[in-house]
Amino acid sequence: MTTPRDLPGLSAADLAIADAVLSSIAEEMGEALGRTAYSPNIKERRDFSCAVFDPEGAMVAQAAHMPVHLGSMPASVLAVMELGPFEEGDVCAVNDPFLGGTHLPDLTTVAPVFGASGALIGFVATRAHHADIGGMAPGSMPVATELLQEGLVVPPIRLVRAGTPEESALALFVRNSRAPDERRGDLRAQLAATALGARRVQAAAERFGEDGLAQRYAALLDHGERSIRAVIAGIPDGTYHFEDRMEDPPPGADALYLRLALTVEGDGVHFDFTGTDPESDRSSLNAVAAVTRSACYYVIRCLAGPDVPTNEGCYRPVRFTLPERSVVAAGPPRAVSAGNVEASQRITDVALGALAPALPERIPAASQGTMNNVTIGGYDRARSRPYAYYETIAGGAGAGPRRDGRPAVHTHMTNTMNTPIEALPLAYPFTVERYEVREGSGGGGRRRGGDGLVREYAFHDRATVTLVTERRAFAPWGLAGGEDGEPGRNVLVRADGTTEELPARAQVEVDAGDRVRVETPGGGGWGSMEPGGVSPR
Amino acid sequence: MGEHGPALLGVDVGGTFTDFVLWRDGVVELHKRPSTPDDPSRAVLAGIDEMGVAPGLVVHGSTVATNTVIQRRGARTALVATEGMRDLLIIGRQTRPDIYDLEPVTPDPLVPAERRLELSARLRPDGSVERPAGDAEVRALVRAAVEAGADALAVSLLYAYANAEHEQRFEALAAEAGLYVSLSSRVSPEYREVERTATTVLNAYVGPVMSAYLARLEAGLAERGAGTLRVVQSDGGSATPQRASALPVATLLSGPAAGVAGAFQIARQAGFDRIITFDMGGTSTDVALCDGALPARADIEVAGLPARTPAVDVHTVGAGGGSIARLDAGGALHVGPQSAGADPGPAAYGRGEDFTITDANLVLGRLPPAGLLGGAMALDAARSRRAAESVASAFGGDVEQAARAVLDVAVANMERALRVVSVQRGFDPREFTLVAFGGAGPLHACALAEAVDVPRVLVPMAPGVIAALGAAGSDLTATFARSVLLPLEVSSNAALRDALADAGREAAAQLDRPGAEVQWALDVRYLGQSYELTVELDGIDSDESFGRAAADFHALHEARFAHRDDAAPLEVVNVRATARAATGATAPEPSFGGEPVDAVSVEAWFDGEARQALLVERASLRPGDHLDGPALVSQLDSTTVIAPGWAATVDAQGNLVLERR
Repeated sequence: MTTPRDLPGLSAADLAIADAVLSSIAEEMGEALGRTAYSPNIKERRDFSCAVFDPEGAMVAQAAHMPVHLGSMPASVLAVMELGPFEEGDVCAVNDPFLGGTHLPDLTTVAPVFGASGALIGFVATRAHHADIGGMAPGSMPVATELLQEGLVVPPIRLVRAGTPEESALALFVRNSRAPDERRGDLRAQLAATALGARRVQAAAERFGEDGLAQRYAALLDHGERSIRAVIAGIPDGTYHFEDRMEDPPPGADALYLRLALTVEGDGVHFDFTGTDPESDRSSLNAVAAVTRSACYYVIRCLAGPDVPTNEGCYRPVRFTLPERSVVAAGPPRAVSAGNVEASQRITDVALGALAPALPERIPAASQGTMNNVTIGGYDRARSRPYAYYETIAGGAGAGPRRDGRPAVHTHMTNTMNTPIEALPLAYPFTVERYEVREGSGGGGRRRGGDGLVREYAFHDRATVTLVTERRAFAPWGLAGGEDGEPGRNVLVRADGTTEELPARAQVEVDAGDRVRVETPGGGGWGSMEPGGVSPR
Repeated sequence: MGEHGPALLGVDVGGTFTDFVLWRDGVVELHKRPSTPDDPSRAVLAGIDEMGVAPGLVVHGSTVATNTVIQRRGARTALVATEGMRDLLIIGRQTRPDIYDLEPVTPDPLVPAERRLELSARLRPDGSVERPAGDAEVRALVRAAVEAGADALAVSLLYAYANAEHEQRFEALAAEAGLYVSLSSRVSPEYREVERTATTVLNAYVGPVMSAYLARLEAGLAERGAGTLRVVQSDGGSATPQRASALPVATLLSGPAAGVAGAFQIARQAGFDRIITFDMGGTSTDVALCDGALPARADIEVAGLPARTPAVDVHTVGAGGGSIARLDAGGALHVGPQSAGADPGPAAYGRGEDFTITDANLVLGRLPPAGLLGGAMALDAARSRRAAESVASAFGGDVEQAARAVLDVAVANMERALRVVSVQRGFDPREFTLVAFGGAGPLHACALAEAVDVPRVLVPMAPGVIAALGAAGSDLTATFARSVLLPLEVSSNAALRDALADAGREAAAQLDRPGAEVQWALDVRYLGQSYELTVELDGIDSDESFGRAAADFHALHEARFAHRDDAAPLEVVNVRATARAATGATAPEPSFGGEPVDAVSVEAWFDGEARQALLVERASLRPGDHLDGPALVSQLDSTTVIAPGWAATVDAQGNLVLERR
């Protein structure tokens, strides 16, 4: 292992100071974006990330917003770099999942940053989940089978050229949403946050000098690499296998399988997904490679402590084998919206499951394993306007060797807030009538899995409701003898009292007086209750 | 009672010391004594006895509410929520604080499952009644709370900010049953059910403890012939014991608020009304930016629990004198947030082994060789140097280099905090004066000022008792806020005006003082946004006032977020009214009676080299005195570093004013 003595001219203190400066740029961008956006999904739920990159497109700092964006932001920047050469004041955008995106609602803005010398000194990027970007259902998280059903595809394009907005590109984007005013507001907030980030990177270059800034980028990436190598070196060498499944069986099978052989060798790690089922043409549970990498990076990052920075150097010790055209490396024209939100959770489960025998004192049982995506949209007659609303619902966290799982919390690849129940009727023709812990849904064990949630919506006008969920049939697994958590349920209650159980993925038309109740999965338990079972520590 | 009026006593109760500032007969007296954490009123009363005074007014910065929450010593609290909503305390905003923690530790809810009760009555979002509340059910719920062992009852119903009727049904019945009652429609009538419920529950949880404490303290004061008592609130104003007992949640940040208020008073007297306060203690640093007024915020967090209550906008980071330096596995240097605290404390204190910020200062010769507290607390420099060696050897430098690196990183952490309250909010630090206080603030003020380009530093005459001073000088205030969700128009704001007038009456009633002045403010956003900015109203009678508030909002939005939209409709989310009555007391002129002590020359390190620096006793300084850096100014509980390139003058109030040469 190298020591800071090897850093040319930079001390251990310089490193900490540079990390503080660059991380606070990403955080400041996030503050500005969260406070000025228009859609509840960005402003209330904070479904966004911001990051700073070096001139080669390597991420040097990311604000701790959304884990699923971890490994996928750099792919967007690399895709946008193809548009160069750039001018000062350019801002580009992309959402194409096969060209640096993840799923269509996540629109990424990227701006090159130029120093006083005129040289390119880095990039800044924001990624935000837009609540509707067209497609076959309001909210752009439909029950789809191909990409174009999911909404407008934005390949890498310039949105602002030398400080002047490309109005026709903006108009095209905005016009393709069911909520154009909201899109305009959100996009403006993203552009403002991007511009702010660029100004702050310029200030950092004035402070450290342009060469000094470049030197710090390199040192930070090296530091990230060294930190993660030290973490991996602490995992016993070996190849660990695990498989898990999703509820989209190919013909003749019971489920869609994800299979992982995880090899730890010294201070490097290899995620090999050979044997994973092919991509699906029946659902949107397909993850693009960037999403799969994000989920694996997240797991490695969790094993490191708070000292470890969030930069791309951390990923250098991590190698992948992702079978082409598999559900962990999908290609066009497959639908991918649920790959980002649902397959990403299952990839996390598989990676954690593989590591459990290697690190029995660290790894928890499976958490709810889904984000319970709910989109509601239609035409609000009381307000005379179309609308699209998106949210995700928390569930139970898996129990671990040290603690019970937490109830009612977002786990692993997401950490978005709920929208206040009292804020909903101020903007939309529906209310939430019940929002409570789903008692007893966590798996039993020496440590209990966290309970899931119940969230029940009441509709006051016609609407289209889309549910994209998982773990409705296959329960979150317990570990070390702990019981599985309770699978989730989706229930439609009509105004006349008839009740209908909905599948994991469903699109339904509702009317005033109807209700939809989502019961989210509980986390798995940890440790056997039986005498002689595995005991903690 | 002389011509100066009755004696006024400001008291600040800290974890270690209770500080007193007495204004009597035109003279300031300071006192400090150990705190009595089991019952803080004992130290307060003992201090009053030691000072031999029966003050006419005692203003008290209280940590009672905060410590009750941190130590989980509050009342057994029951919660009545709307059916289907009883778990909001557990669910919160459904997020986890650290996204990379596989087994996070989260605070248990203040109300356990068996005391979370539900009411079947229901309001609609506009406040109209969907299902009325039956008397029998209300009675049954109060009974259930009592039977579950509750001492306090919190009632937080969905949409209660729009209609308090259902909640009010509980008030008399619960009080009859001997319960401390806290209604969301009184404590926090603002929309957003999670925060409103959390605030109401916190209030109920600390209410009985606070009421009992204040009753004890009032009785003790009465025995001593002292006059009235007031408690500093989180917004920097003070409250009567009645209000503080009914609304203890408003005192959760009493101490930090009093500190900022005290620093702002001093700075104003010295002629600076745009300041950044820098209060560095043993474990943490508080910074706040005052642009002509105390900065306000509406949300706070205490021990991981959120609350919505008016507070001075103080930003806290885990960097204090006891913050520990260490290298991580990748070779970067970290300072804090782990702290050696008071026990074992920095290596220099003779018990600990860790290399801390205090040790780094000692290694660099920036603390008086005689020790702290006027020599009562010796410092072990050799032990500090030994502790530094582990850090030094890890990156191949000597002990002085290690100490310098530690201070560089510590200052970078503080700089980051300072940028949050300045640059991130649209302020240019170069236009502000840094007011440094607390035990360690004046040690690092020059370095921090250089890092953020602040041209001037003010170190008050008694930097260790600023919060007690802020308590003494605070006005009596009562703030009332309510969600209205009304448009802000250029004209015809009749509904808004009515709501403001109501809020003003409510605030004045809570203050209960004749001649109180009422100030209004609006929480405004662009229609469709969900984050509000607060703008003041200079009156509620004329359309011009509302027009000016709208213009202020656009300007503030642009300053904060770099864009504005003058054509977009504005929405008023909350109306705020603050009733205020001044104490009428002003700080007496300081006296300079201390016996001058000769300055000595000591070796101190700056920018990697050892320099000769003058070590001066603060008590020896007189208005008009001038000092060039490098120099150290030592006093009982603080040391000021005047860095090379800086010069200090002593102003008429005894403040040290440091400027770059």
